[in-house]
Amino acid sequence: MTKQQANWSPYDNNGGSCVAIAGADYCVVAADTRMSTGYNILTRDYSKLCKLADKCVMASSGFQADVKALQKHLAARHLIYQHQHNKQMSCPAMAQLLSNTLYYKRFFPYYSFNVLGGLDNEGKGCVFTYDAVGSYEKVGYSSLGSGSTLIMPFLDNQLKSPSPLLLPAQDAVTPLVEAEAVDLVKTVFASASERDIYTGDKLEIVVINADGIHREYMDLRKD
Amino acid sequence: MKLDTSGLESAEPVWATFNELADGFSAAPSFELPNTTDFDGFQKEAIQMVKPAKGTTTLAFIFKEGVMVAADSRASMGGYISSQSVKKIIEINPYMLGTMAGGAADCQFWHRNLGIKCRLHELANKRRISVTGASKLLANILYSYRGMGLSVGTMIAGWDETGPGLYYVDSEGGRLKGMRFSVGSGSPYAYGVLDSGYRYDMSVEEAAELARRAIYHATFRDGASGGVASVYHVGPNGWKKLSGDDVGELHYKYYPVMPSTVEQEMVEVAGA
Amino acid sequence: MSIFEYNGSALVAMVGKNCFAIASDRRLGVQLQTIATDFQRISKIHDRLFLGLSGLATDAQTLYQRLVFRHKLYQLREERDMKPETFANLVSALLYEKRFGPYFCQPVIAGLGDEDKPFICTMDSIGAKELAKDFVVAGTASESLYGACESMFKEDMEPDELFETVSQALLSSVDRDCLSGWGGHVYVVTPTEVKERILKGRMD
Repeated sequence: MTKQQANWSPYDNNGGSCVAIAGADYCVVAADTRMSTGYNILTRDYSKLCKLADKCVMASSGFQADVKALQKHLAARHLIYQHQHNKQMSCPAMAQLLSNTLYYKRFFPYYSFNVLGGLDNEGKGCVFTYDAVGSYEKVGYSSLGSGSTLIMPFLDNQLKSPSPLLLPAQDAVTPLVEAEAVDLVKTVFASASERDIYTGDKLEIVVINADGIHREYMDLRKD
Repeated sequence: MKLDTSGLESAEPVWATFNELADGFSAAPSFELPNTTDFDGFQKEAIQMVKPAKGTTTLAFIFKEGVMVAADSRASMGGYISSQSVKKIIEINPYMLGTMAGGAADCQFWHRNLGIKCRLHELANKRRISVTGASKLLANILYSYRGMGLSVGTMIAGWDETGPGLYYVDSEGGRLKGMRFSVGSGSPYAYGVLDSGYRYDMSVEEAAELARRAIYHATFRDGASGGVASVYHVGPNGWKKLSGDDVGELHYKYYPVMPSTVEQEMVEVAGA
Repeated sequence: MSIFEYNGSALVAMVGKNCFAIASDRRLGVQLQTIATDFQRISKIHDRLFLGLSGLATDAQTLYQRLVFRHKLYQLREERDMKPETFANLVSALLYEKRFGPYFCQPVIAGLGDEDKPFICTMDSIGAKELAKDFVVAGTASESLYGACESMFKEDMEPDELFETVSQALLSSVDRDCLSGWGGHVYVVTPTEVKERILKGRMD
């Protein structure tokens, strides 16, 4: 008899889209709340956003079991950091930590695509995007997940920020005011949920500014 | 398999005093390996799922005044462009640069790691590490992970006590010293421009223009390269970024569009 | 890599008020290598009917030649131009003939029908028609195009606004696709005229 092998994969894809936009004094992080597997919807109300620190929110799509494990790990690391330094971790520090955490699982990756949004030490909005094994980049706006290919071209079109690599350097922060950025996020998710079956049900938007964290919801297509 | 995870050990001493608290969350956990009999098969599948494909043009060459390093800035996943603003030239320290081709995370992480090691060397020996030494450090780490699916093609360029230095290091364990390298999917095109225009006694301006042109031509022909062409120069006083040009604009600078006399054509519609 | 992605392409057609626009990129590549940047993917069947063929270029050219041949026979026999709906049926039939060894093309058909009513449609490589009232897309940049068009499309646009919209959608989409771009080619067709424009785009 030939050797039998379990045909089991430790991974699944639960879909969903995430968007983050950084402004001069705010940061918008948003994700839909649908969680699917294959053609099935597991739940219509699952938050993909996670508050990691006072001025730092992570949105993750991909495999939600891995995401949950990652969130718990980061929460624990952040708690230790608070005990040792008696302060909240800054967003750029959390960004570096997330990168290393992902890379330590290089040979058994977390199947999660994360985008980190928050305010830096000067109170300016910042967005960091990641791949699943921890390469990261600071950007002005970003979209990740199943609907990212639909969302990103439109964000490029509306926000076209100068590349941070240009010399002489130009400021890369989005010119929009807070309310415009929130409206833009609503528009792109409404469009993405028309064509991406993994995006829909409800949109969860988190706005981080000097006043703290503010949360709002919008209904999306449920089909 | 015994892995050399010394590269991951944190330089931060606080952990020693907080061991019980930090247990399981220490700053330097070793790499977790999947519990499977078919490691290679698992790697192949897992990498397929998560890793952005590589498409890159990077180049570096030594000339009279030092080393010129240049790269594009595109990252792609299959046909989709996931970023147009990747920093592919990594600043290891003020005298040394690394370039990034292959897996983005692999390059970023191990260059960051190399930066730490170079700084530690500096503190221990009271002088800067040589380019030869630094490239060997990286090559040794990559060699210890050989066959485990790391994907790195990098050039280490810098200035040390012996003058300019340039090494090519890859994840298959290769380490070559040379005067002129190009790495990535756009490298054949870049080599074409580089080889035809290279002279040892170029000025910095000439060399920068050659590097920029080589990157531009590679981005034109290679679908996986594009974005911004960054050019760095490493001289006796360390590196300096000379230029960062959007390739989209560079094309029309090199080849301005002559407005044609007939800009639009009118056609009679039958039966109108 | 799929054979549909061998040469790379981006195609979009959009409906306006008594007019339509059809646009494509200008790249012909062999996988990641760019061969030409003045490639024609859209061709005129007659003054009010345009056909764009995305996918494998060799099949697109063969298919185009066969379609033009069949259309010319129709013109000779009927002494009139084909209606867009009829032409779509012809394309569909020709594609389904090769059901088990298809042309690796996804066509986009756009035309003005009776009473100047715009007609747009796309198909898969074996001829399953998909009619749309707003816009259709095809090619390697199709996902990006869906997103861009879905966000930018408005009903009943005048020709000038339609041109602007379709150009913006095309250019921002191909800038997120490795395999298409290198300029754009746009036709805006109204009952009285055909405006053809070449777009400058990023050449990377």
